Amino acid sequence: MQTEKELQAEREAAISRMHEDTTAKFFLVSSITYFFIVGIVAITIAAKFVWPQLLGTVAPLSYGRLRALHVNGMLFGWLLAASMGLTYYVVPRLCGVKLWSEKLGVATAVLWNVIVLGAVVSMLAGWNQGLEYAELPLPLDVLVVIAWVMFGVNIFATVAARKYQQMYVTIWYVMGCILWTAFVYLTGNFAVLFTTGVNQANLNWMYVHNAVGLIFTPIGLALAYYFIPKASNTPLFSHKLSMIGFWSLAFVYVWTGAHHMLHGPISQWLQTIAIVFSVMLLIPVWAVVYNFFATMKGQWHQLRDNVPLKFLMSGVVFYLLTCFQGPMHSLRSVNAIVSKTDWIPGHAHMAVLGAFSFFAIAGSYYIVPRMFKTKLHSDALANWSFWLFLIGGLGFFVTLWLGGFWQGWQWNNPAIPFIDTVVALKPVWTVRFFSGVLMFLGIVTFAYNILATMVGAKPAKAAAA
Amino acid sequence: MLRKADFSAVALVAGALILFFIGGLLTTVVPPLVDKSWAKPFENADPSRGPTGKLRPLTEQELKGRAIYIREGCWYCHTQQTRTLLADTKRSGWRGVDSPISTPDEFVYDNPHLFGTKRTGPDLSRVGGKYDTQWHRTHFRNPRDLVPGSIMPPYPWIANNEEEFQAIVAYLQSLGRAKQWRPENDYEK
Repeated sequence: MQTEKELQAEREAAISRMHEDTTAKFFLVSSITYFFIVGIVAITIAAKFVWPQLLGTVAPLSYGRLRALHVNGMLFGWLLAASMGLTYYVVPRLCGVKLWSEKLGVATAVLWNVIVLGAVVSMLAGWNQGLEYAELPLPLDVLVVIAWVMFGVNIFATVAARKYQQMYVTIWYVMGCILWTAFVYLTGNFAVLFTTGVNQANLNWMYVHNAVGLIFTPIGLALAYYFIPKASNTPLFSHKLSMIGFWSLAFVYVWTGAHHMLHGPISQWLQTIAIVFSVMLLIPVWAVVYNFFATMKGQWHQLRDNVPLKFLMSGVVFYLLTCFQGPMHSLRSVNAIVSKTDWIPGHAHMAVLGAFSFFAIAGSYYIVPRMFKTKLHSDALANWSFWLFLIGGLGFFVTLWLGGFWQGWQWNNPAIPFIDTVVALKPVWTVRFFSGVLMFLGIVTFAYNILATMVGAKPAKAAAA
Repeated sequence: MLRKADFSAVALVAGALILFFIGGLLTTVVPPLVDKSWAKPFENADPSRGPTGKLRPLTEQELKGRAIYIREGCWYCHTQQTRTLLADTKRSGWRGVDSPISTPDEFVYDNPHLFGTKRTGPDLSRVGGKYDTQWHRTHFRNPRDLVPGSIMPPYPWIANNEEEFQAIVAYLQSLGRAKQWRPENDYEK
């Protein structure tokens, strides 16, 4: 006669046997590798702000080309690929069925790697379309669309075959992300080709803003909604609140792109609309963040020795901060000071690294030992990676915001020659470089830990078989 | 319907797309239909210069220079918009003359647009005619020779390639000159 506990263990073993997770593994291994490689590019360009002569005479390694590689490598090579990998793990489990097609998933992962390697070559060669976040040449854009359709088909088919009728909020966000990304991406990479000047800039910035707002936000929140309750072993605080967050995000985000053109050559009324909706972003953000904090009520002690939870909750704090900054930045008076200063990379890095990459890192720490049926290689090293990312990240964000305000005030005083405002920022860029080194060490410890976990899992598996 | 979306994937898809398209269409498709200045070159105050003033499509050489500007990612550090801020008009100005602010009708031939989101170097929307070719050659070889403290990288592969160098200088000289905002004799040097 089996005890209830043994039955439970057997059920869990049966579930874990059911999922192959080949696609998730493939996506995670490649994205973490790119995280490491592009991290080297990142500290190189940070160093160029302090030592402008560094590698300066080698065309493919000049700032303008490495910067394109950094942006695309981090956004698409690391973060989106890692988030997709985690989605391939999460969605089948929430649906209670296997991934619809593991073969299609692996093919998607292969295609994604082709795209990333193509991007490396074209960015270094200077084959750049000149549109922010849409730098990739047209043939690669087409491949991205194909890969996204393959991803979408696989996920939607899995959802359609689900065993549980009710869909958890993670599934909503994943589906929303797949749909919105499709249209946002088509706008930013294809519709822009048929326009010029201000109209094109408007489409470009609708894409730029929503690359974060309707691609990385929904897929990042999908992961946070899954991993926060899982990692803390606590149920989500409110289902209703998650609905409010989702539907207000669906409605509000797309309106805000024109806030990239405040005071610029674009219609005043469109700027005003963008400002109004940017301020309304506080609604979905508040709904999401309150839900996460309330879930953690009475559970905060778990943060002490739960590394995935540390990443998740500091990610939530960064999400709150970055989404408070956004609406404030869109006010005309604030915008007149900080727009186009170093405040902007500080803000962008907090969203993409501080919030969504933290969610993806937490997810990787959580699922990799489970997928490979082993233990994490080193808990101590994981803890180190957290503090390196956190301290490096804070050093980066805070100095750039302060530096950005200072820079903006100097720009607004025309008596100061422009070059003096550049020289004044040198200490800020020096701190940014050293913070970048800390973050890179975070990447190294994270990547090493994950890969060592995977490699170490193999002999154990062989012994069991 | 939104509550139904909890259980029905089809309802969720429909709801998510409808809400997205309301804002999407109203902020991308409708604005250029309402504001015609986005697509029409500006009129010149002086009819003798023709209906569109000095705004003209770029020449083949200038376009080649523009392609180099994009290839090297110059637009990551240099914006091309004089905003409606006093400080911008002063900084884009030249020898005591304030520059006019950028208007949508100036950019109808720009593809891709190069407004930019970050200023690490100065804005270039009115740089045309401010510096001569020799200045640009020295500057591309090593910006610090002319501007101590500059963090712009050197571009020896442009400065040493006469065709590329001439093209990018031709493009830079075209920037902001259509507006005719400076006294005639103040161009060059």
